[in-house]
Amino acid sequence: MVRLDELHPEEAASMRNAAPRFGDFDHDATPWITPPPLAESTICLVTSAALHRRDDVPFRFGDSGFRLIPDDVDPNDLVQSQVSVNFDRTHYQRDMNVVLPIDRLRELHGAGEIGGVSPVHFSVQGASPDAKTFEASAADMANRMRELGVDAAMLAPV
Amino acid sequence: MISHYLQRHGIPTTTISLIREHTEYVRQPRALWVPFPLGRPFGVADDPDFQRDVLRSALRLLETATEPTIEDYPHDVPEGGGDGVWSCSIQLPEPEVSDLEAALRAEVDLLTPWYEEARRRRGRTTVGISGARPEEIDKVVSFIVAIAEGSGFKEIPPSARGPNWNHPFPMLVRFVVEDLRAFYQEAVTSQEGTNPPSQQDMHSWIFNRTALGQAIIRIGQQIAADEEPRLKMIRGLIVPEGFWRDEVSWGAAPPGMERIHFIRSSLAYLAGEEA
Repeated sequence: MVRLDELHPEEAASMRNAAPRFGDFDHDATPWITPPPLAESTICLVTSAALHRRDDVPFRFGDSGFRLIPDDVDPNDLVQSQVSVNFDRTHYQRDMNVVLPIDRLRELHGAGEIGGVSPVHFSVQGASPDAKTFEASAADMANRMRELGVDAAMLAPV
Repeated sequence: MISHYLQRHGIPTTTISLIREHTEYVRQPRALWVPFPLGRPFGVADDPDFQRDVLRSALRLLETATEPTIEDYPHDVPEGGGDGVWSCSIQLPEPEVSDLEAALRAEVDLLTPWYEEARRRRGRTTVGISGARPEEIDKVVSFIVAIAEGSGFKEIPPSARGPNWNHPFPMLVRFVVEDLRAFYQEAVTSQEGTNPPSQQDMHSWIFNRTALGQAIIRIGQQIAADEEPRLKMIRGLIVPEGFWRDEVSWGAAPPGMERIHFIRSSLAYLAGEEA
């Protein structure tokens, strides 16, 4: 249960201190875009869990780049270079889908609820002293998504 | 932030939110706030129905939201999400502080069959982020023992040579510790039907009941005794707040230095990029 009051006071303070750093961001510069109906939309996942394949270059702490995860990745090929000790890894260690729900996305596609699943998903290192450093790599991600026929992205933090 | 940047480049987004306060600041286009622990955006392991419902709820915002929206997911994680009721069913001996290496190796020997069973049944392991293969866990132990006993933070301990270590030193210390924690955690969650532990259960068990916890604390003590203040960032990444008794686990910036500059300098130092 993530309510800040329930975290250790140091962790909660750190989370509270992080929030105002987003305050000077020009939110209104982001346009509103409406995707096609879900049943016609190809979806891709973006995780900030710093997951990557074993032979990928691991993320640095503060890394603003991304790694690609194929939709048919062998779950045993995934490792995690997220540096924080302050989140629950036990469920991810038992089941990839609690962080990266590739199997669930395929089931929704099989049931006709979404139009398709991107052949590739994206992973970033969420532990960053400055989230604005992601601007360039997000532009690159968006270009790749368009090439892949992605209609909308499902983002999930850890 | 990434949701804003993606959308500015033409890709509509929907987001899981774990910390509502952050989402209220960031104001992503569409966010589903979920009342789950950090690290578990889709709730609970091995429960496809629950995970699918969370995913479907977040995706549905792509159809229903017409302006920036934060929706609250109405369900908490189902029974079995952990939260203080777990106890380890594998009996480990009381950690023997006088011989850390013997105590640590005895624990690893006891846990190995459980780890192997879990790995075989799940078809996967998350051990290996340091670069060591799961078969090289003995070198992971050698590494941790050497650092805990004072081999220093200048070079990889000679007793731990062999694995294709995958991170710069001394940052590597953080990932070697993670690999042994992953080995322990995968082993003790190997049994089906047991009430699975939360991360807090795991922290308490490791730091109060195992030689691994004692080894990690000793690494923290080596960092405290070292003249290099930037090492404290590693301590903050291996000892959760609340388990380091002397001060804040992360340490503090030296007097007169702004915290953000201390963090940046620490990052460069730990990556081996700055003396």
